[in-house]
Amino acid sequence: MLNNINIAGLSEYANEVRENNIEGKAAFGVELNWESGTKTIVNTKNMTLGSHKIVRDFNFTIDEPSQLLGVNCAPNPSEYLLGGLAGCMAVTFMTGASAMNINIDQLKLEIDGEYNYKAFLGLEPGANPGFPELKFIFHVKGNGTQEQYDKLIERVTKHSPNFNTIQNEVRMIGELVS
Amino acid sequence: MKKSYQNIDHKRDNGDIWFNDLQRKRDKGPSLGTDRYQEYSESTKSVHAGQYDDPKTGALGTPIFQCSTFYLNKESYEAIEEGRGRDEMIYSRYGNPSQWSVQEKLSSLENAESSIVFSSGMAAISSALLAILDKGSHVVSSRDIYGGTYNFLYEDLDKFGMSVTFTSPTNLKEIEAAIQENTKVLYFEALTNPLLKITPVKELVALGKKYNLRVIIDNTFLTPYNVKMLDLGVDIVVNSATKYLNGHSDLIGGTVSGSRKLVDRIWPQLLKNGGAMDPHACFLLERSLKTFALRMRTHNSNGMLLATYLENHPRVKKVYYPGLASHNQHELAKEQLNGRNSGMISFEIEGGDVNAHALLDYLKLPKEATSLGGVESLISLPYNTSQASLTKDQQKAIGINDGLVRLSTGIEDIEDLISDFEQAIHKTFKN
Repeated sequence: MLNNINIAGLSEYANEVRENNIEGKAAFGVELNWESGTKTIVNTKNMTLGSHKIVRDFNFTIDEPSQLLGVNCAPNPSEYLLGGLAGCMAVTFMTGASAMNINIDQLKLEIDGEYNYKAFLGLEPGANPGFPELKFIFHVKGNGTQEQYDKLIERVTKHSPNFNTIQNEVRMIGELVS
Repeated sequence: MKKSYQNIDHKRDNGDIWFNDLQRKRDKGPSLGTDRYQEYSESTKSVHAGQYDDPKTGALGTPIFQCSTFYLNKESYEAIEEGRGRDEMIYSRYGNPSQWSVQEKLSSLENAESSIVFSSGMAAISSALLAILDKGSHVVSSRDIYGGTYNFLYEDLDKFGMSVTFTSPTNLKEIEAAIQENTKVLYFEALTNPLLKITPVKELVALGKKYNLRVIIDNTFLTPYNVKMLDLGVDIVVNSATKYLNGHSDLIGGTVSGSRKLVDRIWPQLLKNGGAMDPHACFLLERSLKTFALRMRTHNSNGMLLATYLENHPRVKKVYYPGLASHNQHELAKEQLNGRNSGMISFEIEGGDVNAHALLDYLKLPKEATSLGGVESLISLPYNTSQASLTKDQQKAIGINDGLVRLSTGIEDIEDLISDFEQAIHKTFKN
C-alpha cells in the first residue's frame, strides 16, 4: 500500500458516508482527573463512529515544567494541543498524499507558537491568554512536486478537523457539577 | 466500482484529487463473477450458488485451484498499492478461486454480503473476535459455549488487554447486567451444547442496538438452513464448517459471514493469524454443500422423530430437544427455529453414566465419537468429553446430570435408527 495508507478503504468509507450520513458521525471525549499539583491524567472516553462503539483504552499524563510549578514529568497542555493539531494535520497530509499518488519518504511537521503569561496571570486585563498565531513547517521528502505539496497543504488547512477547530470559532458550553 | 481511481486517473495525475473523488464502493463478494441464485430456495442455492465453470474447457463444477500463488500483473500491483488485495488473486492465504467459489455459496445460504472460509471453526472464531475487539474491550458471552471458544475467551483475551464475562445464554436480564462501559461484543451460540438452550437472538440484537455493540452468533448447531442469523440482525455469524455445513466428517473448517464492511475487517486478521482454508478442503466443502439442504431436511426430521421416540421410552428420564413441547423454551423454538430444530438431541438414561456407557456399546449405527453434524449419527457422553474439565459437582450445577448422552442424529433411515435404539436400550436394561 502506498505510504501504508489503505486508499481502497478510504474510498469505500467516503462513499459509505455519502450514502449514509450517520456513518460519518464521530463522537469523542476525554476525562481528566487531577492527580497532584499541576499533574493530571487524561483518559480517552469510548468513541462512537456511526452507530457503533469503539473502545478507547488509552491515557496520558499532563504536567508543567518545574519553572511553571510542575514536576516536569510529562508534556504540558499547550504541547498536547500543538501535538493534537500536528497529528491531525499529518494524518490529513498523508492520506491526501496517498490519494494523490505521492510517495512520501519522510514527513516532519513543526508547529511553534508564543504567548505571554501576563494575561494568564491577570497582569494585562483584556489580553488574549492563548496563542495569537501558530507557525507550521512541513518538512517533506517524497516524489511530489512543489505544486502538488502546495495543493496538499491547502487541502490540509481546508479538511483537517483539528486545524479547523483551532482556526474557527468553537462554542464552549460549560457546566459545574459539585 | 472496483477501483478507487476509475475514470479519474487524469485528476490523480494532476494531483487535483480529494477523498470525495474516490470511486470505489463496497460490494458483495469477492467473487469470480459467479451467480448466487439469491432469489432461489435453499436446495437450488446449495447446488448452484458460487459454482465456477471453467470457460476454457467447459468443465462443469469448480476446479480445485491447488496453488499457493498467482502470476502478478498490472491489476494485482494496483490492488496491492490501493489496499484492495482481497479482490485480486495474489496468494492463497489472501484468496484463491476455490475459496471464493465456496464463500459465494455460503454467502448465498447465509444471505450475507461476504464470507470467509477458515481452516477450522476456532480459526474463524478467534479471527472474528480479535478483528472486532479493541484494546481494553470486553465481551459478554455464555458459560455454556463450546470449550474451545470458552478457552480462547477465558485464557487468551487478557493477553490482548481484553476481558470477558460469562452469563446465562437465556437470561436477558443477566446478559444486560453484564454489559460494561467497555463492552464491545455480545458473543453467543444459537443453540448450546449439550443442553440445547436457545439464545433469544432477536432480543440479543435489540440489546446490541441499545448499547451500540456488535452481536456475533455461532450458528453451528442450527446452520443457515434452519435459521439465517443475519436476517435476525446479527452482525457476524460464525460456523464450524466441520459439522453440518460439510456434513461428512472428513474435513476441518470454519466460516465467517456478514456485511462486506465487517468481513473486510476480519480478513486482515486472517492474514495475520493464518488459518486460510486449503483449496482441496474448499472443494470438499463446496461439493458437500450441494447436498446441504437435502441433508438438513433429513437431520431435522430424524431429530424430531428420534427425540419423540426417546421421550416416550420408559427408560429415558429426560430428553432435551427444542422441537418437543417439554423443552423449556419450546415457545421460543417455535418462533425462532420455525420447526427446524436440527438433529442434535441430548437425553438422560436411567441408571446414570454406567448405563449410558452400556448403551453406547450396544448401539450399532451411531458411532461413539466426538464432533457432530455428519451424515452418520454420532454419540458421546458430555461428562467425559466436552465437559470433562469440570468436576462432577460443577457438571451438575450446569445441568450435566448422571446418564446424559449427546446424540447427533445422522441421515440414516429413521426406522433403522429407532430399532437400533430399541435393541440397545433393551440390552442395557436386560443385563
